[in-house]
Amino acid sequence: MNIKKFTAGIALAALVFGAGVSSATAAETEREVAITKTITIWTFGDVIEPNLVLQYKKAHPDILLEIKKSDLAAMNGTDMTAACTSKTGPDIVAVEVQYSGKWRSYSKCFQDLKKMKTSSANSEMTTTYSTVKRNSKNYYKLDANENPIKVKNSNFYIDSTGAKVNVGSIKAGLSATSIKPQFIPWRWEQGVGHDGSVIGIPTDVGGMEVLYRTDLFVKAGLITAAQSKNGTGREIVSKMWPTWEKFIETGKKYVSKLSAADKKKGVGFIDNVGGIFTAMLNQSPVKYYKDNKTDAGTIFDTNPKTKKKEPIYSFSPQIKKAWDNVIIADKAKIGTRTAQFSPDWPVGMNNGKFAVIMAPAWMMDYVKQQAPLTKGKWDVASLPGGGGNLGGTQLGITSYSDEKQAAWDFLAWYLAPEQQLQVFRTYGLFPSTKSIYNDASVKDYKDPFFNNAPVGKIYSTGILKLKPIFEGELNPVIDKAFGDGLARVSAGKKTSATSWKITMDELKKLTRGAK
Amino acid sequence: MSHVVANPSPRPKDKGRSKGAPSPWRQKKKPKEQAEFPGLRSLNGKWGYLFVAPFIIMFLIFGLAPVLYSTFIAFYDYDPLGEQTFIGFDNFAYLMEDSTFWTSIFNTFDIWFWSTFPQMAMSIGLAAILRNRFLKAKTFWRTILLVPNITSVLAVAIVFGQLFGRDFGMVNMVLGWFGIPNIDFIEDPFAAHIAIASMITWRWVGYNALIFLAAMLAIPDELYESASLDGAKSWQQFRYVTLPGLRNTITFVLIVGTIGGLQVFAEPLTLGGSTSGGSEHQFSTLTLFLYDQAFVANQWGYGAAIGIMITIIVLIISGINFLATRALTTGEAK
Amino acid sequence: MTTVTAPVQNRRPKWQKVGLGGYIALGLMAFLSVFPFYWMFVVASNGTEEVSKIPPALLPGPRFLTVIEGVYQAVPFNTALINTTIVGVVVAVAQVFFSALAGFAFAKLDFRGRRGMIVFVIATMMLPSQLGIIPLYILIAGWGWVNTLLALIVPALVTAFGVFWMRQVIDAQVPNEMLEAASIDGAGVMRVYWSIVLPIIRQSGFVLGLFSFLATWNDFLWPNLVLQSPDMYTAQVAVNQLKASYVIDYALNLGGAFMATAPLLLLFVVVGRRLVSGVMDGAVKG
Repeated sequence: MNIKKFTAGIALAALVFGAGVSSATAAETEREVAITKTITIWTFGDVIEPNLVLQYKKAHPDILLEIKKSDLAAMNGTDMTAACTSKTGPDIVAVEVQYSGKWRSYSKCFQDLKKMKTSSANSEMTTTYSTVKRNSKNYYKLDANENPIKVKNSNFYIDSTGAKVNVGSIKAGLSATSIKPQFIPWRWEQGVGHDGSVIGIPTDVGGMEVLYRTDLFVKAGLITAAQSKNGTGREIVSKMWPTWEKFIETGKKYVSKLSAADKKKGVGFIDNVGGIFTAMLNQSPVKYYKDNKTDAGTIFDTNPKTKKKEPIYSFSPQIKKAWDNVIIADKAKIGTRTAQFSPDWPVGMNNGKFAVIMAPAWMMDYVKQQAPLTKGKWDVASLPGGGGNLGGTQLGITSYSDEKQAAWDFLAWYLAPEQQLQVFRTYGLFPSTKSIYNDASVKDYKDPFFNNAPVGKIYSTGILKLKPIFEGELNPVIDKAFGDGLARVSAGKKTSATSWKITMDELKKLTRGAK
Repeated sequence: MSHVVANPSPRPKDKGRSKGAPSPWRQKKKPKEQAEFPGLRSLNGKWGYLFVAPFIIMFLIFGLAPVLYSTFIAFYDYDPLGEQTFIGFDNFAYLMEDSTFWTSIFNTFDIWFWSTFPQMAMSIGLAAILRNRFLKAKTFWRTILLVPNITSVLAVAIVFGQLFGRDFGMVNMVLGWFGIPNIDFIEDPFAAHIAIASMITWRWVGYNALIFLAAMLAIPDELYESASLDGAKSWQQFRYVTLPGLRNTITFVLIVGTIGGLQVFAEPLTLGGSTSGGSEHQFSTLTLFLYDQAFVANQWGYGAAIGIMITIIVLIISGINFLATRALTTGEAK
Repeated sequence: MTTVTAPVQNRRPKWQKVGLGGYIALGLMAFLSVFPFYWMFVVASNGTEEVSKIPPALLPGPRFLTVIEGVYQAVPFNTALINTTIVGVVVAVAQVFFSALAGFAFAKLDFRGRRGMIVFVIATMMLPSQLGIIPLYILIAGWGWVNTLLALIVPALVTAFGVFWMRQVIDAQVPNEMLEAASIDGAGVMRVYWSIVLPIIRQSGFVLGLFSFLATWNDFLWPNLVLQSPDMYTAQVAVNQLKASYVIDYALNLGGAFMATAPLLLLFVVVGRRLVSGVMDGAVKG
């Protein structure tokens, strides 16, 4: 062993891991109190907001909240199933909306939240938020862009607009029934079993609107720069596409104004025309399953043409229309075939490869992170067809949990309006708590990244218009099959008719056990 | 510590070539291996049971039992949280008609082919260079080739995913310098297989190069010298001295590579981005298909049936491998 | 490796030097081998948005420590590294120990059922591991080992591949004459194993241990299912916590991936040479 190499190696290690350690100790709170309860939470993404977790820890130093994040496929496929069969696992789970149908079919894995009552544990929360020291000042790290806010007082903090934000307490004796009125009715229903048991309460709701590039739209002559600046731009744009047909027309117009060089590079109107399918489908009340008064629902319905019982996905006019619209959009060449969340997507965002993205509320944060150089160049317009939903989460307590009371206390606190408001401020995740939609910080919130669009108002208006969709067990799988079917046509590998047939065959295979 | 150069055939007495007789530099193929006992009769064999016991016991509990349980459910329509109905061979019958199954077989073999044979050629080539006594910085080259082997598959998949991006990935950028238009490594099945194969090749080529290097170093120099005295050129030396000497190593690398290659899972999952394997199931390898059907489409019995089929396929291939190499080692020398 | 000096004659066999082509080939391979690491570092040190530019940043940037700070704030990374090291070392030692035992028995001892067992071992190497995950979890949960390092260690104590490798190694490296001689001298099997076989295969055992450690370090599916709390995570699970978002922050993820690989690289710097010679010694010779 070469001494020099060895020493160099150790020195390097010390430098790198030392840096990690110093920030780690800064991030950890000190524990002097013994842990009496541990609540394990399985979640994904940014659903459980870390600063709220920190605050809860400060208020209840004897309770340990353990957050584990996973990929959706693993979590819902193997992990939660293994946990439920062996009756060991998490206390709280975050179920993404497309899986809500599945878990409603297996409601025995969850606790009926109507039967839980909060204790008085959280009825007087007064602690401060955890602070981060920077340049010998205390800051509370507020948003993903790390705009630090100076902490002033003990039971509230001052946010970026200078407003005072209260720490929320909750009363004792609350059950799911008590807090139900705070939530959007159709979102609430997605977490209710057929027998009325509440197995999940919604946190965020996807909502869906259209993000568009103001500079590129001006370049294409769709709006003027002045209109964009004075805020009327987004209304004008929204009026351009009240229907999906008009949306595609606008796309064609946009593409026709592109330079030849741009066209050659594959520049287009929208990142992926497949998004139109999802958006359209999530606007209609019946997607793939029909509510037949059971938890699982049924995948069959009577086909009005043949009068026979057939799977909904094979004859539903909504699905057919959505499919056809995508094909039309694809033929008009308005898409750039950039898959969302692929490595090419953020690069495309940064370089103006596409001007339009169908965005649920949670995607806004993503755009801010991935394309910070495009700040101020985006705006928000309403979705053709009037509002849609993509994504969202339900929080539930498992039936095999050992800490149900403590879990419910935390959950009820987390879902309280004040806390949900904070989630919105930090991550832009749009809460399902309709009672806060009239709060100034939501209603009047203008996001500078999106050309000062009043995103709070835009999304909340759209969300309130939606009707509930009955999600079934195999929703994500069927979604994927249709997505694949459309991708085949988009890539020029199959005609629409052939791909439709292939998709039907695939779906028959995938749903062969379904009732 | 001394090693004795021994060949893996059952007769332990060889220490290199037998002395005395003039050795033809062209290697004779070795005589057919007797199915003999390679060890020592004089040692008390009963100890064998004790020595293998820990392995067998633990293996039965943790390795075999879970798999047997899963195999059992292949004959059921199995829902772990719901009902379980016995359906006999239905899962298997369905599987035979499932086009995705056949696609995944094709994919697995295609990827296996492209990740095994080019890689083997590259490893042998690299080994030949590394073998050269005049090579400068030998240890540096040898060590650096092992670096890919120590990375995690997940991390590699993220990086390669970026490098293979259709519009902005670095691979397409470099190809662009040669005037080649952008290749869609995700949507085009063949390109997708090449992408996966290159990830696998990247990981293993250095490791296998070292194995081949070791084997090459064990080929005695006299053979090369006799050959060159006879006027053989370098490529002839390679063909008639080096390659035969590598025969057993090639077999070993092939078998281990095949077993691993037929179970490729993490790379297609991460590069393709979903368990369903892409719009044309181009990323569905057998194990990914198993995972998708069992855990995502919620057909556990069906997944178990796929698992049994995978085992059968691997057994068949390994059997073919074994017989083929057996036949080759008993052929006549040219 | 023996070198026979050629007799001094006019037709002395010429060993050719490595040509330029050879060095180019080696250089290219070396570059390709290391490039992904370098790329990880570039992305991690530049931040995600830099990578989204055209052309992307190719040189490291100044933000490495910031990104690493982000990683550490998301997960207790050092704890994860310690956990992974503990599991890795224990499993490596155990695997080498048990594999050597069984490998020796298969290679040198005669007992009934030997052949059958060997075939069984090889056959089981071919079963896809994904199948066994759920039943194994149910088993582990039944023993109360969920979220413990035991759940990672105990099922991994033995490996079919290790037995196969050890058998190969012992067969190739331990001459029967030595064993014969010792047995004539009156040594029992245990003695023979301990004093003769083990010293000879030490190097190969070390290599097996190293590869075993690597495999444990990089294992993901099983630990992700079994481990629940952040202070029990292993390295890959910790890195995956960075990934499991709606948002894929490439800088953060690759920073985490880099940090998860860095210890291995350091280990490699220290023992790389041994690893190389070990791989070569353990190889099957033709």
